[in-house]
Amino acid sequence: MPEDDLAEEASQLTIDGEVSDGGDIGFAAKRLAQEARQTLSFGGASRGIRDVTEEFAAAAKQLQPGQLVKDEYFTLFEAVGALEIMDPKMDSGYVPPGDTLEPDFDVCKGLPAEQVLWIMDELLRLTAVWHDGYPLSQTIFTSLHVDRLLSPDNRAPYQLSYDDTALLVTTTEQRLVHVVLRAYCIALVKSCALVLHTIHSQNFYEEEDFVTHLFGRELLPSTGANDAIKLLDEAVKFLVGAEVDKVMRAALLERLQFARTYVSLLISDSADWNTLAAMERLAETHRLAQPIQEAFSDKVQRQLATSTPPRPMIAISWDEALQRWRAICADIVEADRLTCFDVCQSPYALHRAIWAFAYREPQPNTFTRAYLQAILFAGEQITEGMAFFDLMLADMRDLVLAGDVLADPQSFLVEMPSDPRHKCSRIVETFMDKAFDEYMNLYRMVCQNRCRIRRTFTQSVAIFDSLETEAMRTDAELDSITPGIVLPHEDGPGEVTLNPLTSWVNYYKLQTMAWTIQLGFETDIYLPHELSMMYWYLMVFARRRCKLVQHIGRFLAARRKTFVSSRDARQDDEAAASQQWLAVLHRQADLTALLSSALWQLSELLMTLDILQPPKRDFAQEQLLYDVRMKSYLGIAHDPIPTLEEYKSATQSDQSVEQSCNNINSTVADAKSCLVYMKKTTPEQGKYIGTEAQWKREIKQLETTCVAVAVQTSQLRRVADKHGMLMSTARDQSLKEVIEVSIPVPGSRYHDWWVVPQIRERKM
Amino acid sequence: MESVQDVQYLDDLLNKTLHLHITDGRMFVGQLKCTDNERNIILAMTHEYRQPSPADVKLAAERHEKGGLPGNVKVDMRKRFLGLVVVPGQYIEKMEVEGPRTPHLTLEADAFDVLTSR
Repeated sequence: MPEDDLAEEASQLTIDGEVSDGGDIGFAAKRLAQEARQTLSFGGASRGIRDVTEEFAAAAKQLQPGQLVKDEYFTLFEAVGALEIMDPKMDSGYVPPGDTLEPDFDVCKGLPAEQVLWIMDELLRLTAVWHDGYPLSQTIFTSLHVDRLLSPDNRAPYQLSYDDTALLVTTTEQRLVHVVLRAYCIALVKSCALVLHTIHSQNFYEEEDFVTHLFGRELLPSTGANDAIKLLDEAVKFLVGAEVDKVMRAALLERLQFARTYVSLLISDSADWNTLAAMERLAETHRLAQPIQEAFSDKVQRQLATSTPPRPMIAISWDEALQRWRAICADIVEADRLTCFDVCQSPYALHRAIWAFAYREPQPNTFTRAYLQAILFAGEQITEGMAFFDLMLADMRDLVLAGDVLADPQSFLVEMPSDPRHKCSRIVETFMDKAFDEYMNLYRMVCQNRCRIRRTFTQSVAIFDSLETEAMRTDAELDSITPGIVLPHEDGPGEVTLNPLTSWVNYYKLQTMAWTIQLGFETDIYLPHELSMMYWYLMVFARRRCKLVQHIGRFLAARRKTFVSSRDARQDDEAAASQQWLAVLHRQADLTALLSSALWQLSELLMTLDILQPPKRDFAQEQLLYDVRMKSYLGIAHDPIPTLEEYKSATQSDQSVEQSCNNINSTVADAKSCLVYMKKTTPEQGKYIGTEAQWKREIKQLETTCVAVAVQTSQLRRVADKHGMLMSTARDQSLKEVIEVSIPVPGSRYHDWWVVPQIRERKM
Repeated sequence: MESVQDVQYLDDLLNKTLHLHITDGRMFVGQLKCTDNERNIILAMTHEYRQPSPADVKLAAERHEKGGLPGNVKVDMRKRFLGLVVVPGQYIEKMEVEGPRTPHLTLEADAFDVLTSR
């Protein structure tokens, strides 16, 4: 060690020659030598290590039981996460007595084809499990062959036997391991590296969605994917001429082909993942494999850098693993289809496409969701010829400014600084810059897991609200340059302008507010007694959205009237399409408002009749509970949400049970008519190109939900009637004894956003 | 009876790097964060070291030979990062503390160069 040499040298410091001014330098040299010896002579080899065993033990013994000596910033909360050494459940390096540190398996030994086949299938199974998000230490790294290839002592070209004693690979069985299995392992490891790269390049949540930890290992850095493909090709060449049973040969070749296709798809930009799913014969030949469990072991965790306790190897069946693979391929093929050129032309269609992807069953895994994000966001543009800016401008145009010069792409090309179009375009651009991140989040965040979608959108609400301030300022500025149409106020005296940017931001704010509540139902965060309040707020938000769409529609109609000559044909077509679409949006918002109204009324009725009760909480205060629940919406400055008082007074009712039931039924009937309208809407009108199947399916689910509400209401009416309570105003009556209600959990509802209480008469 | 000096001694060792040798032969190197009267030790940023196996030694020797390197072969201990660990006092066989990296060492090197400069 360098310090050792230094100590040697330092102790032999001498001075060359005499120095006239006496012993100063000599003294300094001697002093330095002395200090060097002292500093370095702690008895140990390097860095001055001092044995303190006895001293420490003596000092520690003097402490009181339970007394701690600790760093002031170190909290006991952190201490809970410390791994306890020598505890088998926590210490991944603990070797039980009688056990060996390393598994007793020679990875260099040749194996018969049946066992090599089994190892290859086992790796396929573990890769499928890894795709689900399980760490490598519990999946692919448990393969002893992979472990050897990735060993820190190993170097390129990453052979299985890296002790440089030349290992003679002569027999077929040896070659099956060193040529075929090795190529396969290398290809799978490179594929892992490529998948990780995709995931890391996009948005995801570590540990929640996926564990990307490499445990101190590197994934064969000196070998590239193309090298892996070459190795696979060589393995194929060997197999074709090898002395192996015909059927086994075919089976092994299929596995090699699978690995080759998989890694090729990962490095290619435009590729057909259907080819991977076509490897169905894998399922058939699996039964030929002969298990060799010793080739896999969780003992590898003893050598991996890990700050977690030892974890078990994951067990899913071979069939389940194949299911996963099929799902991955199907998801990627669908992701490509959903983001095709035509869909990307319409921002709304693209929105729908991403939601449709997120709601596939089973839910797409982290890799496929990252893949979708990469398609849209990895490049400089959304799709060919459509920059992010174009997408955002199209969104504004479609929603609020169809046919208007403000959002006309041509306006942005005007160079004359005095031209109002030039001035306005610059102002609009500045605003779009500010809104860009949050706008793109509307697409990107839907690619996250469900809970995170809800949580991110609750934060977006506040951001949209502050953007609204900016939008109002910008609208005023635009209006001063190019005054917009002025119309009489919708309800009340005075006049009103469109305020396009404000309307646009407000629309997304209200939409996001509604989504947060609906996702809340889906992720089951509301207690049964909160259904009433949450549906009421959802109704309020949806109604506001309705009004906003109407407001925009008025100005759109007025704008159309200004298109007089044939020169305006393009604008008029644009405005016409927008009008049709706004009509659909209106219906959708209306539907949400009506259905939530019905469910609000039903839940409220159940509470009034004492069938649904809040839990007994002696110390809870209503206002505090409300504040916590509505926290994300309380900060809204523009058009604040109704207060708890306003909610409560809206809920006061002197209606009889019969009247309430009638109201619910008529609300549901109105909702159904919205659905009828939507069923007749074409993909162009509703901008749902690319998601036609999802549109139909959702309408069906909502129809079923409407029917369910009606059924439950009539059930309630029937039982109330039976007990003579139909006419009562139910304020002091309770049907608790005769009726029980159950709230369907997510997954068992007709539509996960709509919770229809199930009402049953109690068995007496 | 506890003496203030003992607490002071232990306090002075906080955040220093300790080498803990435990009964099964492993060594843990990390920063001391907490201890108690049973000598249970909490270490942060811990690395676990193991004695190299016979296979490791053999491999290193072969590489040494192949490379034609002079002198003795050096085999690194196997090392992996663990993070925050607690080592129960009962398993500790030997405890060492790393001395401070004093500025002298750097200065000394410079002085040495100076004194023997040609």
